[in-house]
Amino acid sequence: MDNSELQPIIDFMRKLAPFDSLPEQGIKQCCQALTIAYYSKQQKLVPVDSNAPQLYIVRSGAFEVTTEQGDLIDRVGEGQYFGFSGLLSGEKVVNQIHILEDGLVYHLPAKMFDELRANSQSFDRFFNQAFAKRLRNQGTLQHDNISTARITHIMSRDLTTITADASIHQAALLMSKKRLSSLVVVDQEKLCGILTDRDLRNRVLAKGLNGDLLVGQIMTKDPVIIEPNVLMFEAMLKMSENNIHHLPVVHVGRPVGIITSTDLIRSQSSQPLLLIGQIERQNSLEALIKVSQKIPDLLHNLISSDAKAIEIGRILTSVTDSLTRRLIVLKQEQLGPAPMGFCWLAFGSQGRQDQMAGSDQDNALILERDTTAAEKDYFKQLSESVCSALNECGFPFCPGNIMAQNPQWQLTLQQWQQQFSSWVKTPQPSALLNATIFFDMRGIFGDLTLLNTLQSSVLKNTKGNDIFIAALSKNALQSTPPLGFFRSFVIERDGSEVKGIDLKHKGNALINDIVRIYALAAGINEVNTTKRLESLMAKSKIDKDIAMSLLDAWEFIAHKRLINQGQQFNNNEPVSNYILPDSLSSLVRHQLKDAFKVIHEAQGTVRLKFLRQF
Amino acid sequence: MDVQTLTYTIVGMTFALYIVIAIWSRAGSTKEFYVAGGGVHPIVNGMATAADWMSAASFISLAGIVSFVGYDGSVYIMGWTGGYVLLALLMAPYLRKFGKFTVPDFVGDRYYSQTARTVAVICALVVSFTYIAGQMRGTGVVFSRFLEVDIDTGVYIGMAVVFFYSVLGGMKGITYTQVAQYCVMIFAFMVPAIFLSIMMTGHFFPQIGFGSELLDASGNNSGVYLLDKLDGLSTQLGFAEYTVGTKDTIDVFFICGALMFGTAGLPHVIVRFFTVPRVKDARTSAGWTLVFIAILYTTIPALAAFSRVNMIETINGADGQGVSHAEAPSWINSWERTGLIAWDDKNGDGKMFYAKGETNEMTIDRDIIVLATPEIANLPAWVIALIAAGGLAAALSTSAGLLLVISTSVSHDLLKKNMMPDISDKRELMYARMAAGVGVLIAGYFGINPPGFVAAVVAIAFGLAASSLFPAITMGIFSKKMNKEGAISGMAAGLLFSIGYIVYFKFLNPAINTAEHWLFGISPEGIGLLGMCLNFVVAILVCRMTAPVPQDVQEMVEAIRFPKGSGEASDH
Amino acid sequence: MFKQWWLQYKLKRLIKNSKLAALKAHYQYLLTHLHQPISDIKLLALDIEMTGLNHKKDQMVSIGVIPIINAEIQPQFAQYKLMKIEGSVGQSAVIHGILDKDLANALPLEEVLQWLFEQCKDKVLVAHHAQLDLQFLRQSLSSSGAHSFALLGIDTLIIEKEREQRKHPVLKTGSLRLNACRERYNLPIYNAHNALTDALACAELLLAQLNKMGGLDNITLVQLLTKR
Repeated sequence: MDNSELQPIIDFMRKLAPFDSLPEQGIKQCCQALTIAYYSKQQKLVPVDSNAPQLYIVRSGAFEVTTEQGDLIDRVGEGQYFGFSGLLSGEKVVNQIHILEDGLVYHLPAKMFDELRANSQSFDRFFNQAFAKRLRNQGTLQHDNISTARITHIMSRDLTTITADASIHQAALLMSKKRLSSLVVVDQEKLCGILTDRDLRNRVLAKGLNGDLLVGQIMTKDPVIIEPNVLMFEAMLKMSENNIHHLPVVHVGRPVGIITSTDLIRSQSSQPLLLIGQIERQNSLEALIKVSQKIPDLLHNLISSDAKAIEIGRILTSVTDSLTRRLIVLKQEQLGPAPMGFCWLAFGSQGRQDQMAGSDQDNALILERDTTAAEKDYFKQLSESVCSALNECGFPFCPGNIMAQNPQWQLTLQQWQQQFSSWVKTPQPSALLNATIFFDMRGIFGDLTLLNTLQSSVLKNTKGNDIFIAALSKNALQSTPPLGFFRSFVIERDGSEVKGIDLKHKGNALINDIVRIYALAAGINEVNTTKRLESLMAKSKIDKDIAMSLLDAWEFIAHKRLINQGQQFNNNEPVSNYILPDSLSSLVRHQLKDAFKVIHEAQGTVRLKFLRQF
Repeated sequence: MDVQTLTYTIVGMTFALYIVIAIWSRAGSTKEFYVAGGGVHPIVNGMATAADWMSAASFISLAGIVSFVGYDGSVYIMGWTGGYVLLALLMAPYLRKFGKFTVPDFVGDRYYSQTARTVAVICALVVSFTYIAGQMRGTGVVFSRFLEVDIDTGVYIGMAVVFFYSVLGGMKGITYTQVAQYCVMIFAFMVPAIFLSIMMTGHFFPQIGFGSELLDASGNNSGVYLLDKLDGLSTQLGFAEYTVGTKDTIDVFFICGALMFGTAGLPHVIVRFFTVPRVKDARTSAGWTLVFIAILYTTIPALAAFSRVNMIETINGADGQGVSHAEAPSWINSWERTGLIAWDDKNGDGKMFYAKGETNEMTIDRDIIVLATPEIANLPAWVIALIAAGGLAAALSTSAGLLLVISTSVSHDLLKKNMMPDISDKRELMYARMAAGVGVLIAGYFGINPPGFVAAVVAIAFGLAASSLFPAITMGIFSKKMNKEGAISGMAAGLLFSIGYIVYFKFLNPAINTAEHWLFGISPEGIGLLGMCLNFVVAILVCRMTAPVPQDVQEMVEAIRFPKGSGEASDH
Repeated sequence: MFKQWWLQYKLKRLIKNSKLAALKAHYQYLLTHLHQPISDIKLLALDIEMTGLNHKKDQMVSIGVIPIINAEIQPQFAQYKLMKIEGSVGQSAVIHGILDKDLANALPLEEVLQWLFEQCKDKVLVAHHAQLDLQFLRQSLSSSGAHSFALLGIDTLIIEKEREQRKHPVLKTGSLRLNACRERYNLPIYNAHNALTDALACAELLLAQLNKMGGLDNITLVQLLTKR
C-alpha cells in the first residue's frame, strides 16, 4: 500500500457510479488527479471557468443548475455531478450553479475525464445518458408560453371568403371541398358576416329550408371579431365569453385571417385561461376563493417565463375582471336581476390593466337613475357581497374606501358627471390627490354605454382646460424619481431600517401620472398607460422621443419590480415594491438610473408645457 | 460689526431662510401636508400674493417718488391699489372659468385666432420686459450701495442673481417662500418707519405720526405739524408745496387710470388667481392681499415725509445754511461712491446745499430714499441691513415670476406654436432658458439706462398693458359680439400708439417732455389710458365692419359669464 | 496592527538568525506574503502522529502533508512519511494504528525533517491544534542539533475556537475536535486515524472555515497566522 494514498477519497469514489466500474488503478489515478474545493452559500454561485471545463463531483452539500435566465435544469446532491454538459458538448459553460447547501466538491480535470471516457465504455455511456436526460428535462421545464403568444402566430392566413349574395348551396360546397368549418362573408373586401357549419345545421337543415337561400340571410351578421396582435389567451377569453368557436381576425375592417377554438386548443392549454375557465365554472364563493389562491402561482409562473411586465399586467387584470364578473353574476342569481341599468367600474391599476401582486380593489357603480329605497338596498347587497368576496379572494379592501360598497361611490350617471366636473373645475390639490385614480376608469360589468357617456363628458371637460391640467401637473410633480443631485439613488428609510427604492411609487406611478396628464389634456379615452402613449403619439400630442423613452422606462422598472417580487416570493420574504440598489448588478443599476432620468426629464417637460415653469 | 458685514449676514440669512423653506416644503410628503392643513389658508395665500405684487418699485421707489414730488406721487399708490381691486374682484374669476392659464391663451381661444394670440403674446412680452427693467434698477441700487460699487455694476450683479434665482433656483412660486419674503419685506419697511415716527412725533404708528405734531429737542410737542413743516421747508427752498399737486388734474387722472387698467393686464399677477383651486378662495385671498398691500402702501407717505425732513435738515443743517462737506455724515460719502448722490460745490464754500434752482448743489437719485433713510436718521446698523434684504426680496420675488412668463411665452407661444412647431420638448426647454437669459440681458440694459425712475418705468409698463391687453380681455369676457379682427386691430392700435408716444417723449425728444408739448396735457406715464380708449374705439369700429363671431364662441362667452355648472355650483 | 508589526519584526529576526537555508526561505515566504490573500498563497496542511502528547518525552511516528494551491486541495502532491523512533510505539498504536514492525523501513528523524522543511520552503503550515504539531517539530529541531526556532502556522482549531466563541462564549468539551468541527461545515466524517487523512481533513476544514469567513480572496495571511 502506497503510503500517500488518501483513503477517504478512494473509499468514496470506489462506491460512486460510474467510477465503481473502473479498475482499482483507474480509481487511484482519478483520486490523484482531482482537486478539492469547498463552496459556501455566501458565495451564491460556484465560480465556473468556462475556458477550463472540468467535472464537478459533489462530495457533500447541495447545488442547483439553472440556465442563465434562472430556469431550473437540475438539482444535485452528494455523489452527483455537474459540469459534464460543457465537457460533453464542448460548448462554453453558460449554466449557473447555485449553492443551496455548503459542501465539498471534487474537481476532475477535463483531460482525466476524457481519458476515462476513452478507456471505459460504461463510464462514457453513463455521462452521455445523464446529458441526454438533462436536455429532456430542460425541454419540459421550459415554459409553455401561450399566455404571452400572439394570435398572428396560429391563425390561418389563407382565408376562404364568400359574398353575401352567393347561395348556401355554393357555400356548403366550398366548405366541404376545402374541409372548412366556417367561411368569412365579405362585401367589397370588408367583413360583413361569418357562416359556420353550425349555422348551416341550426338555421337551414334543422328548419327544413333548402339550399337556394342566400348566404346573407343566414350568416351571423357583424360577428365578434378580434384584431391581430392580441394575445392568444385574449382570443380564448373572447370565445369562451361569447360561447363561439370562430373568430375572424380583422385589421382595419379587412379580414386577414380566422382563428378557431381548435387552433387554440392545438396550441396547448394555458394557465391563465385555465384559471379564468375555472373561475367561470365555479358556483360558490368558497370555490372561487380557492381558485383565486392560484393567482400568486400564476404570477410567479409568468415572471419566471420572462413575459413582459405589461403583458403580465394585462393577464392578471383579466383574471381579476373575470373574478369580479363571476362574483356579480353569482350574487345576481341570488338577488334577481338588477332593477335598472348599472355599470361596475374599476379604477386605478385594474382600470389601467396593469395589476400586479397585492393590488387592492378600487371600484364603483354607475347607476342609470336615482334609486328608491328598495333599489338602493339591492345595490347595497350586491356591492357589499362582491367587495367582501374580492377581499377574501386576495384583493384587499381599498384603504381610501374607493369601493362600490361605499354609498358615496354608487352614483347615477348625472351625479358622476357632476363629481368629475367639480374635480375639474375646482381642482383642489387635496381632492385631486385622491381623485387621479378615478380618471383611469374601465367598465367591468353591466351597461358599458353608461361608462362611455361618462368618459366622453369627462374628457370634454378636461381637454384643453389648462387650469385643471396645471393643477394636475402640480400634483404629479410633487413626487420625483429617487435620483439625487449627482445621479445617485435616494434610498428610503423607515427609521433605521433601509427600505430601498420604491419602484412602484417612485417609478411606474410617476410615469402613469405623467401620461395621464397628457391624455386628459388631449382628450384621449384610453386608460392603459401604454395605449395612452401610443394614442398620444399617433395624434402627435407628445414628443415621440419622450413617449418611446417613457414606454421603455415603464417596462424596465415594472419588470425589475416583478423580478424582485418573484425573488421575495421565493425567499419567503414579504412581497414589496422596494428594491435595494446594492442587490443589483452595476449594469442594471445604470439602466435603472437611466429609466429614472427619463422620468425626471419627462417631468421637466410637463412642468414647462402645462405649468409654464422650468 | 459694520454695516457691510451686517448686510451680508442678514441678506445671507434671509436667503438661507427661503432655501430652507423651499426644501422643507418640497421634502414633506404632500399628502400629509394636505391632510393636515386642508390646503393653503387664504391669509397665507394672501401674503404670498402680496409678495408677488410688491415689487422693487413698491418697496424702493414709491416712497422715493412721493418723498421728492410730494402729493403728485400719490397717483401711483391710488392707481396700483385700484388696479388690484379691479383685477381681483372683477376679472380674475371670469378668466379662471375660461380654463386658460395665460392671457395670450385666453385671447387666442376667445378670438379663435392664432394672430390674436401672437399679438397678445407680444403685448405681454413688452409689458413684462418694461416691468422687469424696473426691478433690475431696484436690485442694482441695493447692490451698488451695499457692495459699494457704482450703479452699473450693481445692476450686473443683480442680473446674475435674478437669473440664477429664476432659472436654477427651485424656490420660485413656493407659497411659503413668498410668505417669508413678504414678512422680511414688511418688517424691513416698517422698522425704520416706526423708529422715525417715534423719534420725530412720539407716535408708534407711522400712519398717525404722519398727521401729528413734531417733537422738539426735549421731546415735547413743538406745536408744528410734520406736513406744515415740510410745506414750509419746500417753499423756502424753492420747491412746490409738498401737499399740493403740480400736475394737471387730467394728467393725474390718466396716470392713475393707466396704472389701474394696466394692472389688470399684467400677466404674472393674473396667474396667481389660477393656481388656487376655487374662485371663492381666490377672492378671499385677494381681500387679504389687499390688507397686506395696504400695510405697506399706507406707510409709504409717512416714511416719505419723515425722510424728506430728515434729509433736508441733514444736508442744509439746522440753520438752513448748508453743512460742510468735510463734515458730511458717512451716508453721503457712501452714496457718492455709487454715483447716486453728487455734490457740485458751485459757490465754493465747501458746504452742501440742497434747494431748487441755481443755488442747488446736490443731485440725489430718488430711488435711494428708502435705502438711505435708516442711515440719514442714524438708525442702528441692523436696520440698514434689513432694508437691503427687504429690497432684494421685493425685486427677486417679482422678477422671477416675470422671467418665467417671458421665457415660456417666447419658447411656447412664439416658437413652438408659431415659428417652429416641430421643435422637440427638449429644445423648447432650452429655448425657454435662453429666453430667460436674453430677458435678463435686455432688462439689465434698461436697468442701466433707465428711461425714468424705477416707478416711472414700471408705470410705463402698466400703461402699455392698459392700452393693449386690458380692452381685449374685458371685451372678451363681457361682449360676445367682439370678433377677432376687432380685437387684433384694437390691441395693435393701442400698443403702437402708446409705445410711439412714450418713445417720442422719453427717448427721441426728452427735451420737450413737458406739459405744453403733451397731447391733451397727458404725460407719457398716463398715455396708456388714452391708448386704451383708442383700442376700444378701433376694436368696436373694426368689429362692426367685419364678420360676426361664430356661434360656439358666443355660447362659450355666455357660459363664462353666468355661473351655470361652474365649480361652486356642484362643489360638495 | 500591532500583531502585524510584531510578526514582521519576528520574521526578520528569524530570517537573520536561522541557519537552515530551507527554513530561511520558509520565513522569507511568510514575510513577503503577510498581506496577500490566502487564495494566492500556497499552504501545506500537515498532521503528525506521535507516541504521546508530551513533546519533551514523546516522539513523532508519522507525518502526512497535503498542499492547498489556488484554493484547491491537491491530492496528487499529498505525501506521507514514517519516522524511526527510539523504543516502541507502545499504547499509542491503538490510536494511530502504526505498529513497531511498520517502522522497520522508516526514515530517520533528521531526513524527514529535512524533507519537510524542503516542502514548506514556499508554503505556509496549517494544522489542527497546530500548537502540538509545531511544538514537536521545534523540539526535534533542537534535539537534532540545530537551534530551536519558533515556527509559525495557521491553526484551524484556534480559528474554530474564535468563531465558536463568538456564537456561544462557553464551549462544550470536545466541540473543537477535528470531526466535531467538520460536522459544523457539512464535511464528511473520516474515521481512520491516519496522519494523511487527518491532514486532508484539516485542509478541508480550513477551506470551509475561510469560505464561511468571507472567502479566501478576502482574508490575508497575517490575520490567520499564529506563533508557536
